[in-house]
Amino acid sequence: MDKQRFLIMMRSSPYGSHQARAAIDVALTAAAFEQAVSVVLIDDGVLQLVPAQDSKAAGLKSIPDMLSAMTLYEVEDLFAHTPSIEQHLQADNALPDDVKVIDDVSLKTLVAAADQVMVF
Amino acid sequence: MKFSIVIQGAPWSSPAALSALRFTETALAEGHDIYRLFFYQDGACNGSLLSVPPQDEIDIPLAWEKLIAEYQLDAVVCAASALKRGILDEAEAGRYDKPGHNLRPGFSVSGLGQLIDATQQSDRVISFVP
Repeated sequence: MDKQRFLIMMRSSPYGSHQARAAIDVALTAAAFEQAVSVVLIDDGVLQLVPAQDSKAAGLKSIPDMLSAMTLYEVEDLFAHTPSIEQHLQADNALPDDVKVIDDVSLKTLVAAADQVMVF
Repeated sequence: MKFSIVIQGAPWSSPAALSALRFTETALAEGHDIYRLFFYQDGACNGSLLSVPPQDEIDIPLAWEKLIAEYQLDAVVCAASALKRGILDEAEAGRYDKPGHNLRPGFSVSGLGQLIDATQQSDRVISFVP
C-alpha cells in the first residue's frame, strides 16, 4: 500500500453529533494502514480542546481522551486552527502539549500538500 | 477517471445521499469508473431493505440497489455504522442472535479499511457529508 498524506479536518463539536468520533475512527484506521495522517481542529472542532470535559455523565466516551491517544497511534500531527480558537475558546484556555496551532496560510499549504482531505 | 464515493448521509435527513446518487449516476453515464461506494455513519441507512418512502417520493435505497446491480458496483457499508443502526446482513444477524436481517441485495458489510483501500485505488475519493 502506498503511503499517502491524509488530512482529516474535524469541524464538529465533540458531542453535538457523531462526526468527531467518526473523524477519529478514520484517522486511526488510516494510521493503522501506515498512512501519513494529520488532523486539524477547525470551526466548532476546536471545542474538543475545552479542558475538563466530563462526558461520563452523558454516558459517552471522552473525545478529548481519544484525541490525545491519537499521537500514540502514529497520527503524525494534531493541529488547531488559530482563528477558530480565538472565536470559540477562552483566552486562558491552555492547549494540550501535543497540539500545534496553525493559521490560515499554513492550513492552505497543508491542504495543498495532502493527497486526501476528509472533512467531518 | 476512477472515483470512489463516500456517502455519510441517511437517505432523507439531508441532501447528501441523493447528491451522491446523482453524482454517481452521472459519472457512470459519462464513462467514468466507480471503484467503490462506501456508506459511512448515517449513510449506512441507505443499505436498509426495510425503508418504505411515500409512493410519490424517490426511493433512494432502491435507486442505489438498481445502480449497483446495473453497473456491478462494489458497495460497502461500514460494519460499525451499520450494526449500531440496525442494518444487518444474514451473517451478522446470526452472530448477534437477532431475529432478522435487512441488508439490501448488492451491498456488503465491511470495515473502515475498505475506505483506506479506496483512497489507494481511486483517482479521487469524493465525500458527501450532511
